[in-house]
Amino acid sequence: MNAPTHVKTPANPRYVDRDTLFEVERFLIREARMLDEERFREWWHTQLTEDVHYVLPVREVRMRADKKPVGSNPGAYVFNDNYPMLDMRIRRLETGLVWMEDPQNYIRRFVSNVDAAWADVAGEVDAWSNFIVYRNRRQRDETVVWGTKQCRLRRVDGQWKLARRVILVDQRVVLDKNLYFFI
Amino acid sequence: MKDVTKLILEDGAVQDRRIYWDQDIYEQELEQIFARAWLFLAHESQLPKPGDFLTTRMGEDNVIVARQPDGSIKAFINSCPHRGNVVCHADSGNARSFTCAYHGWAFGLDGDLVTVPLEHDTYYDAIERPRYAMHPVAKVESYKGLVFGTFDASAPSLRDYLGDMAWYMDSFLDVPGGVELLGPPMKSILNCNWKVPVENFIADGYHVGWAHAAALKAIESPLSPLAGNQAYDVNTGLQVATRGGHGFGVIWDAAAAIHPDGALYRDWIAQREPLVREHLGEWRARFYNGHWDASIFPNCSFLYGTNTWKLWLPAGPHNIEVWTWTLVEKDMPEALKQMMVATNMMTFGTAGMLETDDGENMEQCTGSNRGWVTRRGKLYSGMGQVREGTHPELPGIVGKGSVCESSNRGFYRRWAELMSGRSWEEIAREPHYAPNRQVA
Repeated sequence: MNAPTHVKTPANPRYVDRDTLFEVERFLIREARMLDEERFREWWHTQLTEDVHYVLPVREVRMRADKKPVGSNPGAYVFNDNYPMLDMRIRRLETGLVWMEDPQNYIRRFVSNVDAAWADVAGEVDAWSNFIVYRNRRQRDETVVWGTKQCRLRRVDGQWKLARRVILVDQRVVLDKNLYFFI
Repeated sequence: MKDVTKLILEDGAVQDRRIYWDQDIYEQELEQIFARAWLFLAHESQLPKPGDFLTTRMGEDNVIVARQPDGSIKAFINSCPHRGNVVCHADSGNARSFTCAYHGWAFGLDGDLVTVPLEHDTYYDAIERPRYAMHPVAKVESYKGLVFGTFDASAPSLRDYLGDMAWYMDSFLDVPGGVELLGPPMKSILNCNWKVPVENFIADGYHVGWAHAAALKAIESPLSPLAGNQAYDVNTGLQVATRGGHGFGVIWDAAAAIHPDGALYRDWIAQREPLVREHLGEWRARFYNGHWDASIFPNCSFLYGTNTWKLWLPAGPHNIEVWTWTLVEKDMPEALKQMMVATNMMTFGTAGMLETDDGENMEQCTGSNRGWVTRRGKLYSGMGQVREGTHPELPGIVGKGSVCESSNRGFYRRWAELMSGRSWEEIAREPHYAPNRQVA
């Protein structure tokens, strides 16, 4: 499944009106809280479109003069998931046999710098935001991941849903043992 | 130098816990293992053209690996011989030369010093340039596309170093068209000793049903019955420890087993297996269609079938970087290569469903040795030792079943041999472990 390796602001963005921006912001913040509260099944059912594409590419460190793409396609992705693949990840968590999650991890997501513009497709917006995710486990195991994400939101039956997300983690070497959580 | 003779006992089955924690033992590993052994650098497919380079590490030494104008591959330490600065900060690229950011010394693709700013006005043309080439990796050799390097000019050839492991790996390396590694590598960290994941890949079929129970259930595949150790049959696989510390376990007829949608891969294997049988014989056709967990001594591991390729780079006694590529056959159709990547990412990538189970255990196995009293204890990997032996048709020491610790013991016997500081010749000459038992 081919997938983007970067996010980009278009040349002439058609920024959304204040009400729409408010809705987009609420969507991202409520989604983050839903995930913090481990409501993964509800997230999968209510926040995603069935053609969702959830991507976190691996990017190389390259010299500026090097014009080759920073990631190869489809060479390496932390996530390059569709709806059934996200379901499979959630089913793993639901088995109750993931020893790493028992006792529970505390994961706290912070969302900021939210902006949105109308996409080329009617009823869809591109939303940009930055994030910080803290994970605290066991007694004093603490990690931080940060970056940016570009989301394609689609209005379905009067409700915004996530149709595509490209997440960029700003660490060449992920400074954590894994990224098995949704951002 | 520390006397290591008491750290590994009972033919590799008992390990002193200090080998996972102590700084002085770690320093001795850097000297006696990482500065002597052949270490995985790259696959040739990552450096197709002259000037193509990548940066990696050998032990804790940063190196540049570069394709030369004559097509050969050289490697040298990525540190300027003038004042020590790192010269190349890119993961990979194509270059004619490497220029240090500090004073502008520039080095050719072969590591030779080619430019010294103000050379005439400051050194008065008296600098002996050959003395200040970047420190070369003593030997760089390839085996069927896999490029390794060693800092030790007295090391045996790469082919001899791999020994019988090469015979086994031919099962998938020596296919028409060969293999390639797809990247760029994923990179993450683990707060564990570098030997813990090597053990996990070389010999640990035992943890699969338990540690990965959740993933095995969620990925509906032929391996799902293993979840919670509901099913295990000793005849479904075997384990091999080859002289030299390499080894693997195999589950028969399971190459595509963990793939959520394995039909495309199974078709490919069915089509290719007769070619492997014709070219390499019956045993290696079976290995070609098996699922392997394997390690190449000291710190390169892979799962053939899931096709994850791993390098565990030490960063102190309690920390490593994990680098992950996808291994594919070059002749596979593009759609199958994409599926191999997807499965590898989904299982053993940075957010892999099984990777996530392992990392946690590896960290805790290491961290518990912080305790002074805990660290005085021993660890035990004696599983299957009473049944392992030689095999009438297969090289190395063969253990029964894929759930076995024969290759774990083989790894630690080699570890102890090299850590003793004895020369390659001495090690090759002296008697080594050979159980007087045949395994059918």
